[in-house]
Amino acid sequence: MRYVIWGLFWIAVYLVLALFPCLVLLYGDMPGGYGFWWDFSMALGFAAASMMALMFFLTARFKRAALPFGVDIIYYFHKHISLLLFLFAAAHAIILLTTEPVVWVMLRPAQLNRYMAAGIVSLIMLALIVVSSLFRKEFQIHYDNWRLIHAFLAAAAFILVLVHIEGVGYYISTPAKRIIWGMIMGSWLLLFLYVRMVKPIRLLGKPYKVKEVIAEKGNAHTLVIVPEQHQEFDFQPGQFVWLTMFHSPFSMKEHPFSISSSPEQKGELHFTIKELGDFSRRIKYAAPGQAVYIDGPYGSFSIDRHFSEKGYVFIAGGIGIAPIRSMLRTLADRGDLRTHTLFYAASTIEKLTFYEDLNALKERLDLKIIYLLEHSPEGWQGETGFLSNMILERHLPEHFRELDYFICGPVPMIHLAEKKLHKLGVALHCLHSELFDFV
Amino acid sequence: MRLMLAKILVVLTGVMIIAVALVFAMVQNS
Repeated sequence: MRYVIWGLFWIAVYLVLALFPCLVLLYGDMPGGYGFWWDFSMALGFAAASMMALMFFLTARFKRAALPFGVDIIYYFHKHISLLLFLFAAAHAIILLTTEPVVWVMLRPAQLNRYMAAGIVSLIMLALIVVSSLFRKEFQIHYDNWRLIHAFLAAAAFILVLVHIEGVGYYISTPAKRIIWGMIMGSWLLLFLYVRMVKPIRLLGKPYKVKEVIAEKGNAHTLVIVPEQHQEFDFQPGQFVWLTMFHSPFSMKEHPFSISSSPEQKGELHFTIKELGDFSRRIKYAAPGQAVYIDGPYGSFSIDRHFSEKGYVFIAGGIGIAPIRSMLRTLADRGDLRTHTLFYAASTIEKLTFYEDLNALKERLDLKIIYLLEHSPEGWQGETGFLSNMILERHLPEHFRELDYFICGPVPMIHLAEKKLHKLGVALHCLHSELFDFV
Repeated sequence: MRLMLAKILVVLTGVMIIAVALVFAMVQNS
């Protein structure tokens, strides 16, 4: 319940802050109208500027604010609200261009001042941010390069917007409004320093080192790390971290990975990582003693957040098994006596990461495992094909509507599983998923 | 469910901003 209250509190804070500059416009002396469309366009422009400032807070990973939602959903929200921000910024320009002929005059090279130019360049940068984020994979932009470009464009676009607002000046002419905009700019600068300086320095002070790298089925490796002269952090099974290796924490070259070990086993942390990109392909070459920096834990995808009296159902696709293995091992370490079910889908039997480990867990847990293979070998005893209502109904316990479900895997698989379970009568609040495909 | 809530919040933010922008434009020009 306290997560719900805190969640509502942070949503209210977000809405107030997003609307703040528009409300400020309505406060105190108003400069007088220039016409309905002109003023409407200006209000949309201010809202877009305020949403831009808030983007930096959304992605600063403040644990207290992220806790009720899970940081994955905050990034999901960030992605979608960015589109709205871009629409408002574009609408600000389009309304002016279509309703105010004077704006075309202001855009002539001879008339163009640097404040207007700042606004135009900022809008172009916003468009680049949106396109490069939505189509990163299609454009084959490396994740690390994309992050650097994204951070640079976002900071530059925001600074240019502040120059644009300050230069136009008409709506922030009163001292009170100037103070408020000064505060917005000051808080953004402080946040920038916190994210790029204070946080990396903190990570440097708590380093980890590689103990070993274990090859797993499914083209994956388990990275085992141990804390160096400090206690490892407490985490809930199923949570994830941002991990930096081969670079300094100042480099912005960090990647989100789920913890695959149990919090009951102190002293080391395991991350099981599939070879999907340049960084994950380098994991196997990490030598013992290699420095690792950990920002975390994050995420609400955990059995510790959702108590289910009669047990859990886990649905994993591919490497989505990593956080689920953490939860299963935790249940085994805690001597859990409830009945649990695991559906685990992969293309072939060779791709079933932790296959032997999961089978061994059945000795320590009342666990039913249903393997689903896209291409099954001859004599295969498990299921073949994709997760269907028939497969779910065949293997779920009778009281399946009273259970909590944890689903992790490719996004289409998550949506499909949630849809099917909801259709079978499972309440939406019993369905928990983890998105790890941010961009 | 969380995805749906996130989408609802995006729509809510958009609607509220447009509403305040409309009020501002009307007040300025009344």
